[in-house]
Amino acid sequence: MNRFLWLIRREIWEHKAIWIAPAIVIACLLLLVVTGNVHLGPIGTIEGPFGEFPRETQVKLLLIVYAGLALVVDMVMGIIAFFYALDSLYADRRDRSVLFWKSLPLSDAETVLSKFAVAAVVIPLVSLAGAVLAQIVVAAGGSAKLAMAGMAAGVMWQPEAIFGGMVIAFLWCVTAILWYSPIIAYLMLASAWAPKGPFLWAVLPPVAIWVLERVVLYSEHVGDFITDRLFGLYRLLGSQGDSGAEASDPETGREVADKLSQIDLIGSLRDFYSSPDLWLGVVAAGLLLAAAMWVRRYRDETS
Amino acid sequence: MTDLIMARGLGKSFGTTRALDDVNFTVNAGRIVGLIGPNGAGKTTALKALLGLTRFDGELSVLGLDPYRHRHKLMQDVCFIADVAVLPRWIRVRQLIDFVAATHPKFRRDVCEHFLSRSDVKPVSRVKELSKGMVTQLHLALVMAIDAKLLVLDEPTLGLDILMRKQFYETLINEYFDEQRTILVTTHQVEEVEHILTDLLFIDRGRIVLNATMDEVQESYAQVAVRPEHVAAARTHKPLAERQGLGRTHMLFRGIDRADLERLGEVGVPSVADLFVAVIQGARA
Repeated sequence: MNRFLWLIRREIWEHKAIWIAPAIVIACLLLLVVTGNVHLGPIGTIEGPFGEFPRETQVKLLLIVYAGLALVVDMVMGIIAFFYALDSLYADRRDRSVLFWKSLPLSDAETVLSKFAVAAVVIPLVSLAGAVLAQIVVAAGGSAKLAMAGMAAGVMWQPEAIFGGMVIAFLWCVTAILWYSPIIAYLMLASAWAPKGPFLWAVLPPVAIWVLERVVLYSEHVGDFITDRLFGLYRLLGSQGDSGAEASDPETGREVADKLSQIDLIGSLRDFYSSPDLWLGVVAAGLLLAAAMWVRRYRDETS
Repeated sequence: MTDLIMARGLGKSFGTTRALDDVNFTVNAGRIVGLIGPNGAGKTTALKALLGLTRFDGELSVLGLDPYRHRHKLMQDVCFIADVAVLPRWIRVRQLIDFVAATHPKFRRDVCEHFLSRSDVKPVSRVKELSKGMVTQLHLALVMAIDAKLLVLDEPTLGLDILMRKQFYETLINEYFDEQRTILVTTHQVEEVEHILTDLLFIDRGRIVLNATMDEVQESYAQVAVRPEHVAAARTHKPLAERQGLGRTHMLFRGIDRADLERLGEVGVPSVADLFVAVIQGARA
């Protein structure tokens, strides 16, 4: 097997959370399904009007349910990736086993790249697989529930919905990789650099600059920049147009359904990819990663 | 034959302290070199420089390569064990062997497994479940299975009991070392390595204070148990060191004619420990 794949394998041996966390999420979903506690929002309300909706609306609503599942799995894996990256170039320095790894004929660039590949490719792929599995579990559970209520169970499996859900999960996965790659690379740089406590080394500088700007210049450019990078992906969830309807309290299933079905998941992806922010981020990721390699290579481990 | 290691004007500073100061030495293939010095003398710094782990001033070549620039290339032919057992704690023995086998072109799995079969280390164990002695055995098995030209050992037996330490060096000499290989070892426990060393490098305060083969040492240094009536005469030969023993004064001489010394008392070969103390004190005086 190729050396790089062995490096990745080593990471998966070490960081079991990469597959345990999604397994737990799936297990929880299965438990919900088996105990009959799946809530499918407007779809699940048996007396609700779901069956009366035109097919197109049904597909759209299901798509949102499936996409929502992918979102849950992605968020869990995002947290895993965050801590993985933060730990990746620090843990072996803390326990000094870095000296053993450095006694093998492996370049530091290879090592850093393999760890980046785990955070930016392996974890997202696991996340994608987890999302698809979650969608299938919920589709199965949902159709069982519908069947028991005497409704058409096949509704859950409409190809446009279930495959659409998988496509969305895939596209989000790719987009998240690109969007968060500079954050991963930044965390790895902090991990390679930090004398101890990489979390503080990673988090304090940006927060300090944020606060400083606020206090000194009364502006929030840094803060906006950081929050946008951290949470900017929400734009993928689509704009609901001008929905000032938040306040209309007693929503019927149909109102919710109408509102939700206006969400254009694919259109928002398109907008996202055409924004320079995404691509500038990718460039920044490359630079930060090169810096992490440099620090890993030249950091003196004598102390 | 080019030198395996060549250091010329090697230096390294930490802030205002000179950890290494104009260090010059060469190491030839097929030798077992003891790099010996008190705490903070610069031993570890010198080894780190040799292994490409730290930046240095001056000239240094290991196997013809600049270690700092070509560390990962160098590691194909150089193995090292650092001072404490530092194998990753989370890994299983079998995974570790698989990984080294996959990433080190000169690793021979059968050799490694042969060494391990004689120890209590089980392939399914995690490193963190092993005792310190077992971790060292595992590390030594991994390293001895690599067909390397240079093996660097930095306090390899620190924290091991005396049986383990003895076994460690016996295995190393009997089953690993040959004319093609070179070993560079640092240790505090000089008595344990003195009979295996072929060369001595004493280092103190960042400087090399003795650089000699064991043969040269035995030729030019002598330990004499001086009889009481000859003590005054013996002192005229300027002993490097002097200590009281049972009815004798033990003195260490350098470059004095053997016939002269035999008139003063029984002549013997100084232990490396005695030589070390004398040379370091001489260098500091």
